[in-house]
Amino acid sequence: MSLPLTRKDLMIVNMGPQHPSMHGVLRLIVTLDGEDVIDCEPILGYLHRGMEKIAENRTIIQYLPYVTRWDYLATMFTEAITVNAPEFLENIQIPQRASYIRVIMLELSRIASHLLWLGPFMADLGAQTPFFYIFRERELIYDLFEAATGMRMMHNYFRIGGVAADLPYGWIDKCLDFCDYFLRGVIEYQQLITQNPIFLERVEGVGFISGEEAVNWGLSGPMLRASGIQWDLRKVDLYESYNQFDWKVQWQKEGDSLARYLVRIGEMRESIKIIQQAVEKIPGGPYENLEVRRFKKAKNSEWNDFEYRFLGKKPSPNFELSKQELYARVEAPKGELGIYLVGDDSLFPWRWKIRPPGFINLQILPQLVKKMKLADIMTILGSIDIIMGEVDR
Amino acid sequence: MQQGWLSNWLVKHEVVHRSLGFDHRGIETLQIKAEDWDSIAVILYVYGYNYLRSQCAYDVAPGGSLASVYHLTRIQYGIDNPEEVCIKVFAQKDNPRIPSVFWIWRSSDFQERESFDMVGISYDNHPRLKRILMPESWIGWPLRKDYITPNFYEIQDAH
Repeated sequence: MSLPLTRKDLMIVNMGPQHPSMHGVLRLIVTLDGEDVIDCEPILGYLHRGMEKIAENRTIIQYLPYVTRWDYLATMFTEAITVNAPEFLENIQIPQRASYIRVIMLELSRIASHLLWLGPFMADLGAQTPFFYIFRERELIYDLFEAATGMRMMHNYFRIGGVAADLPYGWIDKCLDFCDYFLRGVIEYQQLITQNPIFLERVEGVGFISGEEAVNWGLSGPMLRASGIQWDLRKVDLYESYNQFDWKVQWQKEGDSLARYLVRIGEMRESIKIIQQAVEKIPGGPYENLEVRRFKKAKNSEWNDFEYRFLGKKPSPNFELSKQELYARVEAPKGELGIYLVGDDSLFPWRWKIRPPGFINLQILPQLVKKMKLADIMTILGSIDIIMGEVDR
Repeated sequence: MQQGWLSNWLVKHEVVHRSLGFDHRGIETLQIKAEDWDSIAVILYVYGYNYLRSQCAYDVAPGGSLASVYHLTRIQYGIDNPEEVCIKVFAQKDNPRIPSVFWIWRSSDFQERESFDMVGISYDNHPRLKRILMPESWIGWPLRKDYITPNFYEIQDAH
C-alpha cells in the first residue's frame, strides 16, 4: 500500500457502471491522490445472465441463438466455438466449402469487432471523428452478413457440421468489392491516426505490459501479441482451414497501448488478405455435413447399413454429447475464446465453461492503472478491448 | 490406464499424483490432491508451464465432490506444438478448500473468484476471494447441481 503524496486523505471515486467510456457496465472503484491513481478495483456482474447455467439445460441447437450475446460485437466467433466444441467432441468433419465460408465469416467478424474497438478507443482519447468513420465500413460488413445469414448481429448461422445456408448468388463479388474498399479505408485510418502527435502523446508508453507479465496474467489475442509473444491460435491450433492461406501473425514488441493499436490495425489488413484468398479459392460442394453422427456403439458400422445412423442435413435436435471432455478454443478478435465442455451421454452438456478473452484480459487492469493519471484509465481500458457481455456472461 | 509422459516424469521425481488418462483431444489429465497442489503447481511452473489458459470448476455429481480444473500450456518462442496439460483437483462438498495458484499464475485471479462464486470452492491464499459475478449478498452456489433457484415461479403462477 503506497502512501499519499499530496494530501492526507485519499479520494475514492466511483466510475460507472453507467459511464460512456466503461464499454458497457463495468464499474471501477478508483482511489485517487489528486490526479494519480493509487488503486483501482473492478466490480463486475452487472450484465450477468448465468449463461453457463442456462447451457446446462439446453441442447446445443437450442443454445446456439443465445451465444451471440456473449460478445455481441464479434458474434461469429461465439457461434464458431459453440459448434466447434461439440464437433471436436463427436469427431464431426465439416465439408471444405463450409470451412471456407466459416473462415470468411469469422474474418469479416474480426474486422467488424476491431472497427468497433477502434472508434470507441479513439473516442476515449478524445477524438470523436473516427467513431463515425468506422460505422461506414462496419455497415458494409453487416450488410454482407445480412445477405448471407438474414440477420445483422445475431446471426445464428453456424451449425454443427457446417453452416445454416449457402452463400447467396453474387455474394462473393460483393465481398471482394468490400475488401478493395476496406483496404483504402485502413489507409485512411492510418493517415488520420497513426502519426497523429496528440494520439501518440496519449498512447505511447501508456499501459506497458512485458512479455513475461502478459503470459503470467494469461492474456491472449492482441494484448499478448503486442508484448512480443507470437501466439496466434490460428497458427498454433490449425483449426478450420487457416493453414491453407498465406498470412502473417501480427505482433509488436513494445507492449504499450500504441503497440496494441498497431497489432489490431495490422490484423484487419491480414484478415482482408485471408478473406481475399478464401473467396478466390472457395471450393464447391455441400455447405453442411450430410451425415452428422452414427450410433455410438457401432462406430465402424457399414455406411448406409441398418446400424448406420444417417441424420439428414440438419443436425438432429437430439444431438447427444458423449461422456467425454475437452477444451476447445478459437482465436477471437479479443483473444482466446475457449469452451471447456464436459459431456454426459445426454442432450445437455454437464458443464459448459466459457473462457471469455475479455474476462481474462481485464484482470490486469488494476495493475496497469496504478501510478498512472486518472485520464490514462480510459486509454488503458480502451486498449484492453473488453465487451461486458462476455465478461459477465 | 495409459500414462502420459508428464505423469512418468512426475513418477520419476516422486511427485504424488494420479493419471486420469487423456481428454478427447489427447491432452494428458492428472489428478492432484488438494494438499499437494500448491507445491506441485510450483514444480509445474518451474518445469515450464507458464500459461494458465483456463481455470474452471464444476460439480462432479449431485452429492459428489467438486472439481477445479486447470489447463496449462507452455509458451515458448518459436514452438508450433506447445505442451499442454490438464490438472484436476477434487474437493469434498462439506469443506471445499483448494490452495490458490494466484501467486504462481496471475490469470487465476478472476477465474478462481468465479469458481468460488459459482460452485463455492474456497481458494486458500487468494488475495480477494469474494463473489465476482453474483451480488455479494447472494446465498448458495449457482452452478452446483443441487442448487435451487430462489423465488423462481413458473410464469403461469404469476397472476
